[in-house]
Amino acid sequence: MTRWYPKNGRVIFHVDMNSFYASVEAAYNPDLKGKPLAIAGNPEERRGIIVTSSYEARAKGVKTTMPLWQAKKLCPELIVMRPNFERYRKASSEIFKMMAEITPYVQPVSIDEGYLDITDCHEQGSPLEIAEQLQAKILNELDLPCSIGIAPNKFLAKMASDMKKPMGITVLRKRDLPQKLWPLAIGEMYGVGEKTAEKLNKLDIYTIGDLVGSDLFQLKRVLGINGERLQNRAKGIDSSPVDPDAIYDFKSIGNSETLREDTTDDNVIKPLFRKLSRKVSVRLKRKKVVGQTLQVMIRYDDRKTITRSITQSNFLEEEDEIFSLAYDLFEKHWSGDPIRLLGVTVQSLVEKKEISEQLDLFSYQKETKNEKLIDVMNKLTSKYGKNIFQKSEVQEDRSQPRTSFQKDFLDDYRK
Amino acid sequence: MRFVVQRDLLIESIQHVMKAISSRVTIPILTGIKIEASKDGIKLTGSDSDISIESFIPKEEDGIINVEEIETGSIVVQAKYFPDIIRKLPLKTVEIVTDDQFQVTILSGGSEFHLNGQDAVEYPQLPVLHTDNSFELKNDLLKELIRQTVFAVSTVETRPILTGVNMRLENDQLDFVATDSHRLASRKIPLSTENDQLDFDNIVIPGKSLAELNKIIDDNEETIMISVTENQILFQTKNLYFLSRLLDGNYPETSRLIPDQSKTTVLTKTKELLQAIDRASLLAKENRNNVVKLQTKANNQLEISSNTPEVGQVTEEVTTDTIEGEELKISFSAKYMIDALKIIQEDRVKIEFTGAMRPFIIRPMDNEQILQLILPVRTY
Amino acid sequence: MKTWNEIASNQPIATRILTNMIERNRLSHAYLIQGQKGTGKKAVSILLAKSFFCKNQIGSEPCHSCKDCVRIDSGNHPDVHHIAPEGASIKKEQIAHLQKEFTYTGLESNQKVYIITEADKMTTNAANRLLKFLEEPSKKTAAILTTENAHAILDTIRSRCQLIALRPLNTNQLELALIEKGLSKENARLFTVLTNDLQAALALDQDDWFAQARKLMVQLIEMLQTNIEEALLFIQKQWLLHFSDREQLKIGLDMLLYWYKDVMYLHIDENDQLVFLSYRENIEKSAMYWSKQDTTAILYAIMEARRHLEQNVHPTLVMEKLTLQMQR
Repeated sequence: MTRWYPKNGRVIFHVDMNSFYASVEAAYNPDLKGKPLAIAGNPEERRGIIVTSSYEARAKGVKTTMPLWQAKKLCPELIVMRPNFERYRKASSEIFKMMAEITPYVQPVSIDEGYLDITDCHEQGSPLEIAEQLQAKILNELDLPCSIGIAPNKFLAKMASDMKKPMGITVLRKRDLPQKLWPLAIGEMYGVGEKTAEKLNKLDIYTIGDLVGSDLFQLKRVLGINGERLQNRAKGIDSSPVDPDAIYDFKSIGNSETLREDTTDDNVIKPLFRKLSRKVSVRLKRKKVVGQTLQVMIRYDDRKTITRSITQSNFLEEEDEIFSLAYDLFEKHWSGDPIRLLGVTVQSLVEKKEISEQLDLFSYQKETKNEKLIDVMNKLTSKYGKNIFQKSEVQEDRSQPRTSFQKDFLDDYRK
Repeated sequence: MRFVVQRDLLIESIQHVMKAISSRVTIPILTGIKIEASKDGIKLTGSDSDISIESFIPKEEDGIINVEEIETGSIVVQAKYFPDIIRKLPLKTVEIVTDDQFQVTILSGGSEFHLNGQDAVEYPQLPVLHTDNSFELKNDLLKELIRQTVFAVSTVETRPILTGVNMRLENDQLDFVATDSHRLASRKIPLSTENDQLDFDNIVIPGKSLAELNKIIDDNEETIMISVTENQILFQTKNLYFLSRLLDGNYPETSRLIPDQSKTTVLTKTKELLQAIDRASLLAKENRNNVVKLQTKANNQLEISSNTPEVGQVTEEVTTDTIEGEELKISFSAKYMIDALKIIQEDRVKIEFTGAMRPFIIRPMDNEQILQLILPVRTY
Repeated sequence: MKTWNEIASNQPIATRILTNMIERNRLSHAYLIQGQKGTGKKAVSILLAKSFFCKNQIGSEPCHSCKDCVRIDSGNHPDVHHIAPEGASIKKEQIAHLQKEFTYTGLESNQKVYIITEADKMTTNAANRLLKFLEEPSKKTAAILTTENAHAILDTIRSRCQLIALRPLNTNQLELALIEKGLSKENARLFTVLTNDLQAALALDQDDWFAQARKLMVQLIEMLQTNIEEALLFIQKQWLLHFSDREQLKIGLDMLLYWYKDVMYLHIDENDQLVFLSYRENIEKSAMYWSKQDTTAILYAIMEARRHLEQNVHPTLVMEKLTLQMQR
């Protein structure tokens, strides 16, 4: 099978779930299949916005972030649903598990997309075969469609997965670039947003091909180091690895919540701080990180928003610590005006393994209770490598729906 | 009160007692120096209430007259002015006279100062040494006891009792122990007192007081008398008395926390280990606990390393005399280790480990009197 | 320096409770002494402190002449610690100092007493630090807290102290004492109601500021009855200049209060209660000008103004509002 694989290069997949939320809903309720479906933050409210929609809805012009009333106007038969985050989480977790069966080199990017490095997977078949099998498995077992891009690097794989939707498999080799990639408008390129596109247009760069042929010096002047990176990508060069730990690359963990109605009532505010602190604590523990800085965000009814933070000498991790600090900080800075939203964030995170704790003469005996277990774990780790087992540290209450997506749950598939 | 005294002796005495006087006291009278004339001589006292120093000028010493024309009495003079006045007087002698209005007159040659004094009745009453309730040590030995323990006292007030050194006397042994709960230093000496009347066995002396005492006593073989009252400890050399209040409360029992068996024993050269740790700590200073890692290797090698991601890393190899027992990897504060090794004068030290999460013991080889204990650092 | 005997004449109940405890050797480890200005809080706390140290007590009475007693009076006793507000409050550093003292043995013995005056002025932080000691009392450490208002003290602290309430001074006694000192009947009466304290009353008598203040008060009353437009100007130009801080403003309000009380006394024929005796004619004029109802309303207005002043409302606002309320 090795003949399908390059001698010196890599083979990267980018798996992109098609219209993920809507597809999950349709999988749960087959009656929804083939109908225009939209997921909106607040279906009861006119000012709710579309989070995502099915291809049928998109065909009628319904777009993400469009206000509900506008979408209804374009597509009166539109079915609007509230998001069921717990369902999406579960589906996502299953999908990543399937990917992880192919290779340990899986890099989740968000709830519905991820990269795989299958360079060393020739025993499982050709890249195309592996992609077909994965796509079929996801469809058969979860009833969910996806597109897969196959390319020598992450950037090209990402561009490839975008080329055929839904249920596409696209191979993008370097030699395909002049036909398949370069004619695309510059705004289509991954990593080029509206602002960047505008800047590039001013340099007479309208397609990805234009970027390849543009003057590097000029590019750098306008976009800095990112200009060079973009040009390299357009040329098909992207050496960034598929990094299973990339989602750990974060510096803060925070949660916020909008109140049902603006309030000054301590009986509402205090429990919300409690809840936010609990969430942040759970997430910190799940990530095995701690932080020294705590930030509180207060948004008032006039949308004026303030953030205030405090840095501690000790590391924050426990709910109670976070709560009392956050509430103190809030009390100190609250103007007394009605509040619309509150947020709690722990910043300057460090991984627990990077910090150390001085043991205490009068309490070390407590710490040594787990000594034997740790000892065995250390020995096995040094023998068989990391991650052969992980302490199940946090038992989460998964019955509670989540208000927003956070990348950190994406490592659930490993458990 | 009245007397005439050799000025240089008075200056020396003033210098001694000034060490105890602080301008930041809440009891007004303590901003002064107490002067007391008795038929045997002159006694000066200074105090910040935590420590008090008394300096005595005997009337006559080795046939030399120090103080003349004594009329007994006492007074408290302002420490802000008195020392400077005495220092700048013109003659070798000075005469000091007081009246019933607590006016102090200082005479020397043509100089005449009048200072307002205060009634000595207002001054704290300090305990006096009772020889039947005291024991003796050599100055240099006492200094050693202090030096080898006081560095380990706690500097934070969360457990106030740990800011002191625990002094215990039992089974003809005098034991000094100090711990800040992260490390512990202990020094024992045999002490056979003929005196079985000693009615203390376990007191806690503030670390600050001992550090101050260590500065004041000379490093020689003279004898110092020590006695303990209900609320103060008193150290007495020939003409100098040093008193300190004690810490109120029970010192925690530490002996049961000290491991009595070891799993890994290292015997090595003190200085070499100290220098290796010192070098390794150059990079360790950046991280929070000043942590270095120690690992036993084959062929009696110890590896000491430190890694601070943003700064760099360092590895030191130390060839030891022997390493016996289990393999070991342990992290600890370089500062605590350096502190412990510094006070060991012997060439070789024995380090006994009982596991990466348990305290380890450092002693000079063949010397059971000194014990240093360090709690390791747990790395996640 | 006062003895229990002297205090007993004004504070018979408190004295009996405390001397009983001393005689039975049943002293508590924490006292909260509450009483208005001049009721003898300081004297009681000093006497209590002495009873912990004096070795020559006869019954409950300390000797007042031993080394311990003398130094407790002079503030030089090394094991008696005094804490009083520094500026507006008792700061946590002051309590931290006490905290350190408690971890040490005493200088002369192991008996320690600390006296915290105006304990209601402790910051929350300071109060919480103190609480730790009250929660774990040491046998030989006693706390004596004094305050004008026990309710301004943290509940948790109050509940751990034995409360000793000093009753307000008997005004007749004070008035007589002042007359004995050579004050006029009117001044004796006025200063008694204003200060309730012998020393403070004598000080007011010597105070030029106060003499001027009284003149201004009479002028203001006059103006309110004749030339209301001028009154506001007068408040701004003269009153607020003379009564320049909160304490002085309170004295001003108190004088107005007693003036209108006098007016009320005339209305109800209680003439012997009058304070401003030498202004009898002016008060009669006032009584003709303001009806009983007017006077009642004004009395309430003055009390409200006093409250506002306590609450740090701007003095100009307080006085202007009051002036308008005092117009008929």
